[in-house]
Amino acid sequence: MTNRRRKITKLVSDILVWFGFIAIAAFVLLPLLWGLRTSLAPEFDSKIIPSSFTLKNYISVMSRPELFLYSGNSLIISIATIAIVLPIALVGAYALARFNFIGKEFGVVFMIIPLLPAIAVLVPLVTYMNKLHMYNSLIAVILVNSVFNLPFAIWTLRNFIISNPISIEEAALIDGCSRMQMLFSVAIPMMKPGIVSVVVYTFINSWNSLIFSFALTPSPKLRVMPQGILAFMGTWGTQWGGLTALGILALIPPLVLFLLFQKYFVAGLFGTQLK
Amino acid sequence: MQSTRGTEKGPAGTFESIVGKRALPYVFLAPALCMILFLLIVPVVEGVFMSFLSTSSAGVVSWVGFDNYRILFRESRFENNMRASLLYLAGVLILSTPLAYGAALLITGKFRQAAYFRGIFLLPWISAPMVSTLLFRALVDPQVGPMGRLVQHLSGSSVVVLGHPVWAFVFIIFHSFWRSFPFIMLFLSAGMSTIPSEIYESAMVDGAGKWKRFTNLTLPLTSNQLAISMLMVTVWTLYDSETIYAFTNGGPGYATETLAVRLFKSAFINFDLNTGAVIGVILIIMSTLFMAVYMKLVAGAGGEGQ
Repeated sequence: MTNRRRKITKLVSDILVWFGFIAIAAFVLLPLLWGLRTSLAPEFDSKIIPSSFTLKNYISVMSRPELFLYSGNSLIISIATIAIVLPIALVGAYALARFNFIGKEFGVVFMIIPLLPAIAVLVPLVTYMNKLHMYNSLIAVILVNSVFNLPFAIWTLRNFIISNPISIEEAALIDGCSRMQMLFSVAIPMMKPGIVSVVVYTFINSWNSLIFSFALTPSPKLRVMPQGILAFMGTWGTQWGGLTALGILALIPPLVLFLLFQKYFVAGLFGTQLK
Repeated sequence: MQSTRGTEKGPAGTFESIVGKRALPYVFLAPALCMILFLLIVPVVEGVFMSFLSTSSAGVVSWVGFDNYRILFRESRFENNMRASLLYLAGVLILSTPLAYGAALLITGKFRQAAYFRGIFLLPWISAPMVSTLLFRALVDPQVGPMGRLVQHLSGSSVVVLGHPVWAFVFIIFHSFWRSFPFIMLFLSAGMSTIPSEIYESAMVDGAGKWKRFTNLTLPLTSNQLAISMLMVTVWTLYDSETIYAFTNGGPGYATETLAVRLFKSAFINFDLNTGAVIGVILIIMSTLFMAVYMKLVAGAGGEGQ
């Protein structure tokens, strides 16, 4: 009797959990699905599920040369940021994880810095970059974007290094490797999941960011994808078919990276227990 | 950087023997620290300095002390900016944190189901603010958007959500809730799953009921994560200028113009950098205050739990 009751309680709680999961997923997905629907529906089809689908909106968005300019600029900024952040973060994280030195406690600073408002830091940076003759250049955006991605990268990599056993590194040192050789041939290959996670995180962040470009590069030629979306929203008004197609296209690069490396990425964000 | 003070040297001729062992961690950290110093710390200091300057229309810069602050504090628009910021923050915080905590309690430990859904739950977080803003604007369009039509149906009038001071604010909060809620839920769930199950088992042996186990174990043991997630939400909403700018431009009137939107508009559209700097300083002070409050809350909750 009690056994049966327990089974029923378990069933009820299972159903409740599934229901909760589905409700949250529906809440998350509905705006995205509505966008996808609108981008694929013919212009004056007001049914919830349109009677026919068309790629017309995608074709008309893709035929705009600006789209390739904006996504190209976004891509340059994202890749250059990764190229700057990754090596700097790797050596810094290694120092924080494996060395004992005076001032190590201040490593916590790398966790506090992301709490500074980027938008406030950008105000003096406009003048600053102007003085350095870098205002209105992609380099300015890349540098500033790198600084704001660096703390998370260092902290994530540090945590990954700490979770690797130090004994392998020590064995390599005893075998006569120099510390540099050991770092590149032993420690860094072991950090692959951490590196993947940092690359994906930095890419998504860079690809999505608007304000750095908005503040530092007023020239239309240097616009990034989010700036392009903002501009299209202003000029296309309520042409939701084309606009949602643009939004879905802008979502694809981070989505693909995320789906490919989900396991590492989630481990980097939330710690390994959710893997 | 060519310090050779280190007494224990690595194998001769290597990088390590050149810089010296003791200097090595500093050399490793130097690039990161230099970047942060020159592109973050120095600008922040310069920003504070700039908030005390005034630039005339002829471009002459002069030191005006607290004048910029005084002028701003007397404005009714600024009062409105401040109120909008706090309202926005309170709205998202009150909506996101308890719901995310409850949802985290529900999903923690349910790994079988979580594996299917986790990817979906992170979608709002990986989509650019401009993309989600665009999709939400399509959702709330008064003619074709289902939410826009729903609001008209509920209020019984032909209201245009983003053109209405209250509905626009509610909708902006709703959008930020959509962006933050699933992430905070996963973050809290990650924290909950680190609590070893033995603790719960021994509490059950001691006869602690479900509610008791929650108030005496789960809540104090996740107070750190709770404070961090509140801080994340605070920082996201307090500094968020782009989504509001893209939704309403701060309008109608100044109804949805938060401090960050005001900063965005005055500094990067009107190029009034001094006003921008003043609001920047105010934002930094506000976020520091909130950080202190949350830390204090954690210390209080943690002390109770031990």
